[in-house]
Amino acid sequence: MPSKHFCGSPDHAVSRRAFLGSTAALAAAAAADMTGLDVLSSPALAGELKKGRKRVILLWLAGGASQLETWDPKPGAITGGPFRAIKTDVPGFQISELMPQMAKRMKTTCVIRGLNTRNGDHGSGAKLMMRGRRDEANLRYPDLGAVVAREMGRADSKVPDYVTFYTQTEGRSMAPGDAGFLGARFGPMELTTNNTPEFIRKLDTITDLDHRERADLRDLLGKQFAKGRQSDTMNSQNEAYERVRGIMASEKLFDVTQESQKVRDRYGPTQFAQQCLIARRLVEAGVPFVRVARAWWDSHGQNFETHQEMVPELDHVMATLIDDLGERGLLDDVMILTLAEFGRTPAINASLGRDHFASAWSMTMSGGGAKGGAVYGKTDPKGNTVVAEEVDAGSLFATIYSSLGINPNKNYYVGSRPIPLVNPGVEAIAALAK
Amino acid sequence: MKSPSPDTLKQVKDFSRPATVFAIAPVPGTERAFLGCQDFKVYEAEFSAAKFEPKELYAHESYVTGVAVAGKVVVSGGYDGKLTWWDTVAGKVVRTVDAHAKWIRKVISSPDGKLVASIADDMVCKLWDPTSGKLIRELRGHKEKTPQNFGSMLYAVAFSADGKFLATGDKVGHVVVWDVESGQQLATCEVAVMYTWDPVQRMHSIGGVRSVAFSPDGKQLAVGGTGKIGNIDHLEAKGRIEVFDWRAGKQTAEFPGDKHQGIVNRLAWAPDGSWLVGAGGAGEGFLIFLDGTTKKPVRQEKLPMHVHDFALSADCSTITSVGHNRIQIHKLG
Amino acid sequence: MRLRLVLAAIVFTLTANASPAADLPPADRTVETVVDDAIDAAIASAGVTPAPQTDDATVIRRLTLDLVGRIPTAGEVDAYVKSTDPRKRANLVDHLIASPGFTRHQASQFEVMLSPDIERRGSGAIREYMTAALKDNKPWDRIFRELMLPDESDPKQKGAADFLRPRVTDADKLTNDVSVAFFGVNVSCAQCHDHPLVKDWTQDHFYGMKAFLARTYDAGGTLAERGFGIVRFKPNKGAEKAARMMFLTGTKVEDSTAREMTKEEQKKEKDEAEAAKKTKKAPPKPAFSARAKLVDVSLEKGNSDFFARSIVNRMWHRFFGAGLVNPLDQMHSENPPTHPDLLAWLARDTAGHGYDLRRLIRGIVMSKTYSRGSRYPTEALPDARLFAVSRLKPLTPQQLATSLKLAAADPAGFDGKKPDEFEKLMEQYESSARGFASLIAQPTENFQIGVGEALLFSNGDRIMKEFLTDGGGSLLARLKATKDPKEAAGFLVKVVYGRPPTDDETSALVAYVQKRSDRPAEAYRQLLWALVTGPEFRFNY
Repeated sequence: MPSKHFCGSPDHAVSRRAFLGSTAALAAAAAADMTGLDVLSSPALAGELKKGRKRVILLWLAGGASQLETWDPKPGAITGGPFRAIKTDVPGFQISELMPQMAKRMKTTCVIRGLNTRNGDHGSGAKLMMRGRRDEANLRYPDLGAVVAREMGRADSKVPDYVTFYTQTEGRSMAPGDAGFLGARFGPMELTTNNTPEFIRKLDTITDLDHRERADLRDLLGKQFAKGRQSDTMNSQNEAYERVRGIMASEKLFDVTQESQKVRDRYGPTQFAQQCLIARRLVEAGVPFVRVARAWWDSHGQNFETHQEMVPELDHVMATLIDDLGERGLLDDVMILTLAEFGRTPAINASLGRDHFASAWSMTMSGGGAKGGAVYGKTDPKGNTVVAEEVDAGSLFATIYSSLGINPNKNYYVGSRPIPLVNPGVEAIAALAK
Repeated sequence: MKSPSPDTLKQVKDFSRPATVFAIAPVPGTERAFLGCQDFKVYEAEFSAAKFEPKELYAHESYVTGVAVAGKVVVSGGYDGKLTWWDTVAGKVVRTVDAHAKWIRKVISSPDGKLVASIADDMVCKLWDPTSGKLIRELRGHKEKTPQNFGSMLYAVAFSADGKFLATGDKVGHVVVWDVESGQQLATCEVAVMYTWDPVQRMHSIGGVRSVAFSPDGKQLAVGGTGKIGNIDHLEAKGRIEVFDWRAGKQTAEFPGDKHQGIVNRLAWAPDGSWLVGAGGAGEGFLIFLDGTTKKPVRQEKLPMHVHDFALSADCSTITSVGHNRIQIHKLG
Repeated sequence: MRLRLVLAAIVFTLTANASPAADLPPADRTVETVVDDAIDAAIASAGVTPAPQTDDATVIRRLTLDLVGRIPTAGEVDAYVKSTDPRKRANLVDHLIASPGFTRHQASQFEVMLSPDIERRGSGAIREYMTAALKDNKPWDRIFRELMLPDESDPKQKGAADFLRPRVTDADKLTNDVSVAFFGVNVSCAQCHDHPLVKDWTQDHFYGMKAFLARTYDAGGTLAERGFGIVRFKPNKGAEKAARMMFLTGTKVEDSTAREMTKEEQKKEKDEAEAAKKTKKAPPKPAFSARAKLVDVSLEKGNSDFFARSIVNRMWHRFFGAGLVNPLDQMHSENPPTHPDLLAWLARDTAGHGYDLRRLIRGIVMSKTYSRGSRYPTEALPDARLFAVSRLKPLTPQQLATSLKLAAADPAGFDGKKPDEFEKLMEQYESSARGFASLIAQPTENFQIGVGEALLFSNGDRIMKEFLTDGGGSLLARLKATKDPKEAAGFLVKVVYGRPPTDDETSALVAYVQKRSDRPAEAYRQLLWALVTGPEFRFNY
């Protein structure tokens, strides 16, 4: 029975093939796919996978940080703004003077300067840059965090797979973590009001023993009910309850006071700094994906004041994170990304602001398999267009996946329809392969 | 001499510019002025010329945000942290000094032309000998960090009419009045409302004290900026002016703004004290005249551009406003 | 994997297209018999044994949850199970449909249906409007008309404007949302290009629909519409062109008002908007309303199939957990229904009976298909598209929260209440549960329950304070007087699940309590927790 309700591009012709389209088939396929994770419980395989098991810290610069005041300065151009460019440890490569600490660490970092993602709207731009592609009308793609959680997480993980901090309120609802068709199992644990996940701590009114045995009793009742019944949603509920105790055991990971004052001072006192320190604790404990959102860069007025305030914090925290991970021997396994929904216009408006701009902006990848010291892409002297090595959202995601050792052409299945991690035909940037 | 009434204000000239003009320093008794611009350059402009064609003099390495005329010398400063001395007679750069560790925000001269003051985001005000280029004094009293641990900024500076006092204002609304001779702090005023820190929604800040001006008798200090801002993506509050009895550190009047959105970048008093004028803007700009006594608005004029600075002629007959890609001249009287 | 093969192996043929009207079952038959005949015929031709009819306790739980949004009380279950009246199910259904709980619960369901994105759901005004509309049993076409053409001066229709209002700033989104909500068609793909796979949808369709809607705007808080306007788009191939008003069926509308507004007209509009802001009254309606035209055209004979089939499919989905066409917004020729004749008959029947939603709902829930069991004896389930086994439906946030409140209450509190007192009480329970409901995720297609919900239930103090209390009138307070753990356990299961416990359950629950003989109150609280967090409570089964 043909079922052609997926649009996008001709590549979806694959959906012509034997698509069942029934929820039972979906459930069965999802279950089969998920149990595939059990290979990790085989010690030999698990050992092999663990070696290369990468993790990601995404610094999400919500609202859209300016590429001109960070990674792609245009000193002297009428669009360049007041900040100068400074030399870095990569010969011939300069970044904004607002980032003196990163300037000494660009050998760890790959900069993509030629992003043209064509979407200057906060909401849909954020969706695009968290997923690497637009959702189809009826297919919600998993975002980067969910894919990394799925690929790098462990079925029996005691820690959350995907944690996201977004404490500021602006733009938060526009960029929620979203597991799309992978479902809630790979959805994020969202921290919005403070740095400890909600409901991670047992109430004082119940003993630990009772808390555990109560859950065992629930499990028993659930199994009775499940006899003769099949439902993917029901399975997800049981799995969620099974993970509760493990997640609770990870509470200390969110507690910065577990770190010495020296380490905390090194990151700095700001909320973003402390959250990045928690992110380091989380990835160290094996959490595959942590997003630390830092809002809100949307400087329609007073762009230079805003960036003069916020970029030095980013510079310091990012440099500290790189150093800290490096000293712990984790930098090869942990990739730090800076990304946003878009960058900012080269044109400076009457309010000395910069507006939304998605046609020539920048992002970075540090550590975790990224090609440090590489600069890919070139924008024109005013920063208005990409003149060489243009990168769109799809090939950026293919590059991130491939740097992490994930085959971007790998398929997930929705029903029997194969869905590759990036759209067919999208390739990783060959020049950035390590 | 009685200053002309703001009622008589009318626009007489309007020039478009290829780049934003951040600073203007008029040459007393002439229709000439020096301009500091977004294209990193300092220009000499003759407003009486048949064809308005500012002449490029020299360049900084970043935005030129301050220009001062002191006798036969022009001193300019910018985001490159440098001060450059220009000899207007010889028509050449005399010296360039790495004056500040961070971005210079303003350069002004004392009324008698014997001192030049520069302020920068290293939070220091420096007094210079315009002739020798010697650093005379450093005025330190503004904190380098905001209470939220981000870098602060030092935006505003002005001399009193007699040159004895100097006021500086920073991002978090802290204003200091200094004794020029001794370099001592005489008093401080707080204008916290001009600094908006958004702790939850957007987690950064906007605003700051952007302009200060002493009354002709030196007793009052007007402070310009903007009000509390809800959405700090934009300069969405009204231009705001407060007046202080600075010796007591006490606010005596406030004009929270009513018509015009934006930030007050420049303030000046009429020499007879009958009014004061603030200019600034957001997407567009404004001139706001307040009564010298009541501090109530007596005239408000919309300008097509965000105004960064103006020059008020000694007889108050001319206001030359500079800003986003435009210069406008208004006449009074 | 094995399961997948089994499923793939079940090949059965369903005719892709509905038979001509003459070949459909006669128009005078009841909804339930037509449903059962069509479903049973497909099951039979697939050679499959369907699940047996479920028991009475499950029937009343299913009906009460589906129709009024809560579990039944222990008393209601008992009375239903004991009754020997052959018409007891019909009586129950009629009673529930006539109750205020029905209009409230269905209104919440419609609110989610109309605005799946919570951001566009607004202040709850649509729910209020729908509650009032369903109370009057307004026909669906009338509701559609009022949602699309709200008369904001009529206080009864005020909430109706909240469908359009949050959407008018984005005509593209408005176009798609209207098409999805009322016609079961997602045309968003055709915004950028003719649909690559579905020949039904071209850019002309998307922009044709947009042309009806793009003139609508917000005049300072009230909805208004321009008398003129033109939608232009750039086709994939060729030069920019103007879109003609065109309905999904291809019906085009002759339109002399398709032009840009003049400067004067623009100024007039601005002034009217200013005036509207001051007087809070809508600017005058245009002589030609494109939006009204869309409503008329879509309900015209020959075009109304989209409208009728979509509401039938959505109601089917609401009560069966899946549509006859899935996904619900993909009703087009290349995604045929599982039971084309059934859908065609139901659409014709519904339109023929004045889009009476109660009639349709009543027919669906009176069918034997609806009361089939959710258990199946073998692991290899029949293909889900056959509706041979009932699906588990996760409770909506409000169903779950209200039911939690009820399960945690002493059932004696419901006894001996007059019908209107009982209804009032139910409404109170429902509103007191609303806050907690906002913490629960709204089910979507392929819904999964995340660890966040499990953590909330495991460690949230709201659960303890609002639900599992032993204060006056609570189930736990009642249990304090019970000395025998076995009796207490039986009572708990009865109240929460509406059935007696199995022997295994009894021994597990009793052992749990006996191990905590020093703290029986805590033990019972934990039993109640285990019961309400179990899937038997979380799902409508």
